Amino acid sequence: MTNTSSLSSTGTHGTHASPVISRRRLVPRMARGLFLDRQLAFWRKELGLAPAGLTRARVVAVVKETADVRTFLLRPGAGWRRHQAGQWVSLEVEVDGVRLRRCYSLSSGPSDLFVSITVKRVPGGRVSGWLHDNVRVGDMLSIGPAMGEFVLPETGRSKPTPPTGLLLLSGGSGVTPVMSILRELEVRGPIEDVVFVHHARSRADVPFAADLAWIARRNPGLRVIIHCDDEGVRGFDEARFTEAVPDFARRETYLCGPAPMMVRVEETWLRAGATAKLRRERFAAPIVTRTQGDDEKLVQVRLSAAGRTVTAGGEGNLLEQLERAGLTPKFGCRIGICQTCKCRKTSGTVLDLISGAISSEPDEDIRLCTSVARSDLELGL
Amino acid sequence: MTTSTTITTSSKTLTREEADAFGRELDELRREVAEDLGQRDVDHIRAVIKAANYAETAGRLLLAFGFGPVTFALGAGALGVSKILENMEIGHNVMHGQYDFARDPALSGRAYEWDNVCDGGDWRHSHNYEHHTFTNILGKDRDVGYGFLRVSEEQRWHPSHLAQPFTASLLAINFQWGVATHDLRLDELKRDPEARATIGTRARPFLEKAGWQLFKDYAFYPALSLWNAPRVLAGNLLANLGRNLWTFAVIFCGHFPEGVRVFHADEAANESRGQWYLRQIAGSANIEGGKWLHLLTGHLSHQIEHHLFPELPAARYPEMAPRVREICERHGQAYNTGSFAKQLGSVAKRLVKLALPSPRASRASRASRSAKVVAPETATTSTSTSRAAA
Repeated sequence: MTNTSSLSSTGTHGTHASPVISRRRLVPRMARGLFLDRQLAFWRKELGLAPAGLTRARVVAVVKETADVRTFLLRPGAGWRRHQAGQWVSLEVEVDGVRLRRCYSLSSGPSDLFVSITVKRVPGGRVSGWLHDNVRVGDMLSIGPAMGEFVLPETGRSKPTPPTGLLLLSGGSGVTPVMSILRELEVRGPIEDVVFVHHARSRADVPFAADLAWIARRNPGLRVIIHCDDEGVRGFDEARFTEAVPDFARRETYLCGPAPMMVRVEETWLRAGATAKLRRERFAAPIVTRTQGDDEKLVQVRLSAAGRTVTAGGEGNLLEQLERAGLTPKFGCRIGICQTCKCRKTSGTVLDLISGAISSEPDEDIRLCTSVARSDLELGL
Repeated sequence: MTTSTTITTSSKTLTREEADAFGRELDELRREVAEDLGQRDVDHIRAVIKAANYAETAGRLLLAFGFGPVTFALGAGALGVSKILENMEIGHNVMHGQYDFARDPALSGRAYEWDNVCDGGDWRHSHNYEHHTFTNILGKDRDVGYGFLRVSEEQRWHPSHLAQPFTASLLAINFQWGVATHDLRLDELKRDPEARATIGTRARPFLEKAGWQLFKDYAFYPALSLWNAPRVLAGNLLANLGRNLWTFAVIFCGHFPEGVRVFHADEAANESRGQWYLRQIAGSANIEGGKWLHLLTGHLSHQIEHHLFPELPAARYPEMAPRVREICERHGQAYNTGSFAKQLGSVAKRLVKLALPSPRASRASRASRSAKVVAPETATTSTSTSRAAA
């Protein structure tokens, strides 16, 4: 809700801090006590305003980039602050009554007229599938503020000089933040000595192909290299790459791609002693899903509130496993009725023993007493 | 057969295996509905939230700016209805986590705080955990008579029960305060020094919540309406009273009518999931009525379905009820249901009857207590039933 942060801060400090309540804390506390916060949120929604922390953005165009990739051009409403090239936003949608959040890199440059996200349809993906099938021009989407450190260094206020000697290296959907950076480079001035290397399944799977050709034509200092799986080696290949870009180790490099590609790139840079020059953006946390037979194996459970990580596993449900690891999570019935042990799962995959459902949704509430870990987890305990 | 492995009810006695077969059918029904949850359910609760908010705003405006008795009655009525909707269909159900599947922070079971003097955290403990886990187990479910009413022959009679028609009426008028202080275990203060020592800390959430609630309805909103302050205060008082009486009536019909049984701790020890289901059914009673009655009770008119599936959205209970009833019939389980008047009358009658001392029913005879319960033909009662009919 609108004031979760103030809610928790008054909750924790209220009893211990000085009895004098500062005005800054009294206002949210009063709003909560009198339910004014909830009413405000309700009437905001009735009036079509975005919930606090989110910006409503109108879809102004949908561009079919490839067979399974679409770009959604958005015009954000009030509250939107200009992003930096390479940043991402979280997008919140409601699919069949269920609110889902996904992070998408912005593919637009900060100076572009519209903000855009470029989404590849993931097989079985609830959000990407919904975006592809349901979103039309004129629809409203809710996005959070632009975030992320995978950005071009900011330069002075007046016309900034574009950095030279860059390498933009991407694979698959990882091209989106890199494209944003490239667009910003173009705006900052003639691009000099920049290499853009992208890996795709085939020529037909390269998004922004027309834009890339256009930028390359206007900027002789930009070299665009596309490696396709169907034209030679699959994915990132060190020999092919070093032949194409022999001076990669001296270049400030922006890397974004699928996890296996990133691992190989990192190895190459490590051998070249150039790791310090490698900036990375991961677009999906690697989730190692265990199968039923692996029940005895151990998982790492990160407890974000306690600030520690424990190893859990063996017999029983997550509640029992955490207790064996020396923790004392809140619990009640222990048989899935009372919800006392419910806690936030920030990331990871769990199996619910009652429904049999396996879920990898980020930021969902799970019952410890009916859950079994199917991967490493992060919990809000 | 021993009591630890079988459960005896007015219904057919099921072995552990039979109970589990019965339970698997209910699990299947639960799975079916859980998989179907979606937009319809979220739309429903948001529509109710919308109705409650509009009714509250209308009620407060009518009280603050209206004049004359008509707008006063309308205002207090609208505010009362809004409180009933918020406490029953929204608060109680959302706090059960019924809408957690939607991942909407406004519908989060852990975070929601309802609009009455009972602290949400206290409620989640005494209700979601204690009452729903240990339903109707004497000594474990403190909802059985709330520690001062005798609602079953199984409870030992005490002279203070003579006054229970009166104390129950007092509770009805002040129901939200009864609910709010339930988790404080005030009845244990006299005999338990530990309870006395911790009451200060334990009562803090309640005191804070109640303080804000009193301030809201009896200072803040009256003050906002300036010269109409007394009128607003009276209207708020009336709305709270109406909500108290209504919720009292609904809640008492859920577990205290004729035919609902209580359990002893040893009966419920080591029970399986199927046996837990059986206990929920034997310990609950439904109210029959139309769509609006169900809505205004927060669908607790389907107390049986609620106790079987406390985490499923309550608005689903009406469509699940015929199937639950059919499953019960096939397995020879009684399904206690009746009109509001019938169930409420039964509760009132029993509150009066049980105010007087009566011998505690024996284990065996307890089984046949209710003849009026809708019992399927296959229902068999245990052998020594004749004595209990008296």
